[in-house]
Amino acid sequence: MKILLAVILFLGSLTAKETLTIYTYDSFAASWGPAPLIKKAFEKKYNCNLKFVATDSAIGSLRKVQIEGKNTKADIVLGLDTNTAELARKTGLFAKQHTDTSRLSLPIKWNDENFVPFDYSYFAFVYDSNKTKNPPTSFDELANMPKNFKIIIEDPRSSTPGLGLLLWVKYIYKDKAGAYWKKLAPHILTITKGWSEAYNLFLKGEADMVLSYTTSPAYHIIEEKKYQYKTANFKAGHYAGIEIAGMLKSSKHKALAQKFLNFMLSDEFANIIPTTNWSYPVIKTKKGLPKAFSTLYVPKKMILIDGKTVEKNRKAYINEWLKAISK
Amino acid sequence: MLKEYWRFRGSLVPGLLASSFLLTLAFLLFLTLYSATSSGESIFQTLDARIITLLKFTLFQATLSTVLSVLFGTFLAWSLAHQSRFFARSFLIALFSSSLVLPTIIVVFGLITILGKNGWLNHLSNYLFGYSFEGFLYGLSGILIAHVYLNASFAARALLHSFESIPKERYKLAKSLNFSTFKRFKIIEFPAIKSTLLGISSTIFLLCFTSFAIVLILGGNPSYNTLEVAIYEAVKLDFDISMALELAFIQLSISIILVLVSSTLKTGVSNIKTQSLFIPWREPFYVGILQKVAIFLFGLFFILPLIAIISDGLNSDFIKIFSSSVFIKSFSTSIYIASISSVITVLFTILLASSKRNFALNYRLRKSFAGKFIAILISFSGMLYLAIPSLVLGLGFFLLSQRFTAPLVFWATFALLSANILMSLPFSLSVLYPSMLKTAKRYDKLCFSLGISGYKRWIYCEWPYLKESIGYILALSFCLSLGDLGVISLFGSQDFSTLPWYLYGLMGSYKNSDAAGVALVLLVLVLSIFILVPKLFSKGSVVKDR
Repeated sequence: MKILLAVILFLGSLTAKETLTIYTYDSFAASWGPAPLIKKAFEKKYNCNLKFVATDSAIGSLRKVQIEGKNTKADIVLGLDTNTAELARKTGLFAKQHTDTSRLSLPIKWNDENFVPFDYSYFAFVYDSNKTKNPPTSFDELANMPKNFKIIIEDPRSSTPGLGLLLWVKYIYKDKAGAYWKKLAPHILTITKGWSEAYNLFLKGEADMVLSYTTSPAYHIIEEKKYQYKTANFKAGHYAGIEIAGMLKSSKHKALAQKFLNFMLSDEFANIIPTTNWSYPVIKTKKGLPKAFSTLYVPKKMILIDGKTVEKNRKAYINEWLKAISK
Repeated sequence: MLKEYWRFRGSLVPGLLASSFLLTLAFLLFLTLYSATSSGESIFQTLDARIITLLKFTLFQATLSTVLSVLFGTFLAWSLAHQSRFFARSFLIALFSSSLVLPTIIVVFGLITILGKNGWLNHLSNYLFGYSFEGFLYGLSGILIAHVYLNASFAARALLHSFESIPKERYKLAKSLNFSTFKRFKIIEFPAIKSTLLGISSTIFLLCFTSFAIVLILGGNPSYNTLEVAIYEAVKLDFDISMALELAFIQLSISIILVLVSSTLKTGVSNIKTQSLFIPWREPFYVGILQKVAIFLFGLFFILPLIAIISDGLNSDFIKIFSSSVFIKSFSTSIYIASISSVITVLFTILLASSKRNFALNYRLRKSFAGKFIAILISFSGMLYLAIPSLVLGLGFFLLSQRFTAPLVFWATFALLSANILMSLPFSLSVLYPSMLKTAKRYDKLCFSLGISGYKRWIYCEWPYLKESIGYILALSFCLSLGDLGVISLFGSQDFSTLPWYLYGLMGSYKNSDAAGVALVLLVLVLSIFILVPKLFSKGSVVKDR
């Protein structure tokens, strides 16, 4: 009986297609996120199975790989950004990538030996213009908003937007960043592990503003025909979030994983991104961006701290932040 | 000397084996943690401001929670003791005793439904007065409310028994001396409940000091972290194992000191039913009103969150919930882990208790050489969990899983089983040990003279008297295991999940209607097992005098 079962399993494994497993953050893997469309397109093109495993945040998916160690089922980790690339590289878990990045059209030049970018946007606070008439136009104004003006932010230890905000504030306030956080603390309603939790809470009306992206209003315009969601535009500039993916050394499907990294720079992939992950694709496509994107605010100045500098100081920045917001 | 030990080998050897197994497990765990800190650096070199803040907050909230729980608990027990004719009194008491096994995540869920920003209370206040208050549940107040909810009812249940054990003659005497209500409490009642009060205070303090799920969910953000949550975050968010170790060692040293200090005190858990004997004292009118109001308000506070879970849960789409594969996986994992760990817990409790009672009886080994020492060792091995918080335990297993390659599921199962067994032991021992001591006192002479020993003694003398307690600890440990949200937080994933962990995930992603359904499933499961299993065992029980 057992032998029969083993034979059946063995035969099954012969005919089974190769499966590529990708760890990513929850909103990417959600039914309304990019994952289902990407899965369909990629599986059709390469006759394989593509499996997305969701965690509550991007850094969470990296931690999951670290926790599982050598036994991890992940082939690719998708969703970290340039701020966390060094953190990921330091784990020594990521393999070299061989992707032709000549088609990239990003605000910066790309030469990373482990990671490939797949979308980008700028961090920004999103508010409901029906409720908030005078949104802040700078961090100073934000801290000086009336006492009952509440914002939701993400935890910089788990979430890439959370870390983005931390670096944004650091870039502007330098060594006075700690003092600024202390001033902002009373306005923070809660700090979530990941972006989706924060955005859901905001849409439920729990807070006046949420840390998200300049491209988020496009979702409400295209999907819901709602025009009241806007971004608070800061004159001093907005921090950029360029999201990346990389394959793991421990992967048993490296060839297929590399094909996926290449696929991220295809027209097919780039056309899925704007209306599912609500951000800019990293290449220019024939189809171009949806019309609603032209109404979005594009920051006059893009802020991006070099990845190596970020990683060198990340712990110190986070400790400064923890200390400032602790009661 | 050794001859005496030889005489009781049947009960000594298995118990000592169980005890040394537990101690070895703890020692190995400690070794794993310690060796992971390698590189010869002092562990505490980065004892920075952050850790001191954490420690201060952990101690502060634990102290405040304990004081509040004990105050409310005492007042409630006092009121219940004097209001023996209160409507639904026995129902309330039975409900309060279930607080020990109510999964913390369910309590939190129910409290959010009632007191949250979108909760019943706010809707009511908005409807009645057009005023809605700011959310106050996230942060210190929420942590305190949840702790008081669980621990005040637990304290009240234990203290009520102490109140009712006060000899009625004392009340009669005090009445003839015309004592006031306050004087009666000060002179008669307080001295009688003092020792129980100390015991439960220390238990509650330990439980709050190592509180995890409540702080994880209601703490909301890093401003309100306890050491346990900080350990979890160090592993899960930062993957900073050295930080986690540092925190674990601080946590471990403090809780070991606390356990050693309190190991002589009782945990306050028992399955003794109260007699609700009429206290011969007619309460003054206003005191009576005060007592009734206190019972009513606390009862309401206790019942409302449970009703909220039931009413919200009934509205959810059970076909959708039951057809989710993650739910089925979590459900079956929870059930099999709870089954295995509760059976092992019962076995260990019996072994430890039957070994320990040898050292409590004069004609057995009480006066023997090293008797006292062995007895303390056995007690300590049963109390281990209170000394090793579940997150520290989980961290140990987690490090093992990193070092020895085996599927994570294997380590996760092993970690969960150990944690659940250790968690239930202190409570189950404090239930079973007194009964086993009683049967020994009652039947030892008879058994020794007739030569009844081994399994025969067990069948004829012990089982009939112990089966009710055994049923109770089986249900207790099953429910504690079912509701635990500790170690699983380090190991939980899509592939390995339990019901509380699944519920936590649903709450985090605001799938409220699914979460309400799962919470209801968990609540029904826990309450029905906690009520029905002991009933099965008490059938035909010879214990009548309770």
